[in-house]
Amino acid sequence: MKNQGFFLTKEGLKRFKDEYQELKRLKSFKVSGESPRIFHSEDINPEFLAYQEDLELLDARIMELEDILKNVQPITVPPKEKQGVVGLGAMITVEVDGQEDELEIVGTLEANPSLGRISNESPVGRNLVGRRVGDEVVVRSAAATTYKIKKIVYHNNTKSGCKR
Amino acid sequence: MQKISNFLIKIGTLKDMKRRGWVLRGVKNPESIADHTFRMTLAAWLLALKGGLNVNRVIKMALIHDLCEVYAGDSTPYDHFLPKNAKDLKKLVATWPRLSKAEKQHLSSKKYHKEDTALNKLIVDLPLNIKKEIKGLWIDYEQGLTKEGRFVRQIDRLENLLQALEYWKKDRKFPISSWWVQIEELVDQPDLIEFMISLEKTFTPQKGRAK
Repeated sequence: MKNQGFFLTKEGLKRFKDEYQELKRLKSFKVSGESPRIFHSEDINPEFLAYQEDLELLDARIMELEDILKNVQPITVPPKEKQGVVGLGAMITVEVDGQEDELEIVGTLEANPSLGRISNESPVGRNLVGRRVGDEVVVRSAAATTYKIKKIVYHNNTKSGCKR
Repeated sequence: MQKISNFLIKIGTLKDMKRRGWVLRGVKNPESIADHTFRMTLAAWLLALKGGLNVNRVIKMALIHDLCEVYAGDSTPYDHFLPKNAKDLKKLVATWPRLSKAEKQHLSSKKYHKEDTALNKLIVDLPLNIKKEIKGLWIDYEQGLTKEGRFVRQIDRLENLLQALEYWKKDRKFPISSWWVQIEELVDQPDLIEFMISLEKTFTPQKGRAK
């Protein structure tokens, strides 16, 4: 993973940057012994409550975020001539087992198949990347599954509107 | 101490709650939610050792990941469009359900809020530090916030796949393909893909994987 970096959409990158800044502030509160009142807002992800209890965990997460931000590879819209090919950030319509589905190809940090966000490193993601409309992609597990690509779209902002 | 014993009595119900995915597929005497958690936690521990993960966090996360089902019950992706007759149900569960983006977001959000409420109810009387730890672990698991969260999510489905393969081995009419479909869209960590392939080789040695 470290060799190729962490692929993130614009929205994903902002979220990780925000979390990093918030955790750094939380750590400075903890070190100074002050109560981090700012984190009592319900808008703050409740995971931070756990970090408040565990400095070791907080440090580990800050280090992880530093690694991510240092090695980030922003997902950008490819040039027009390459927009007919499935790549990171592509929203694709596929037909699987006679049913249509919409999938978005993202990096591992933003993957969530229950929301249609497929990691480019998953067997399905790896098989779809590089393919074009009309291609039939067979994912060869014990049950060979065919994904027929019907549409490929890249959004200009490459961000997705869904929560992970 | 009374509050701890009350909590343990409540989660004991998971030993008797049959997992709904197997019930829908007509498995006789299927495993319970606690049965799944037991093997999943061991799998998480053993496989985390190779991945440079916080093993302590991984084990705790696996242990608590389904606690909310004490009150929320087990759910499946098929629950919102279950047919009434057995023949249609059999056909439905043979394939992985495909939904629109809006439906996926709606159902995912609905499930999250239902389970969040259930977990809050379950842990309400626990000591504050434990309550916060359980809640933080569950949110990480549900949203895949950290590498441990993403790892445990994948282990959860891999244990499901292993159980499905065991049922399929006993009864070849058991619909196995939908398990492969969902796992191949989810698993993306090299060690876990390797584990998935080892399951494939163990249960279906006659089928070769194309590279």
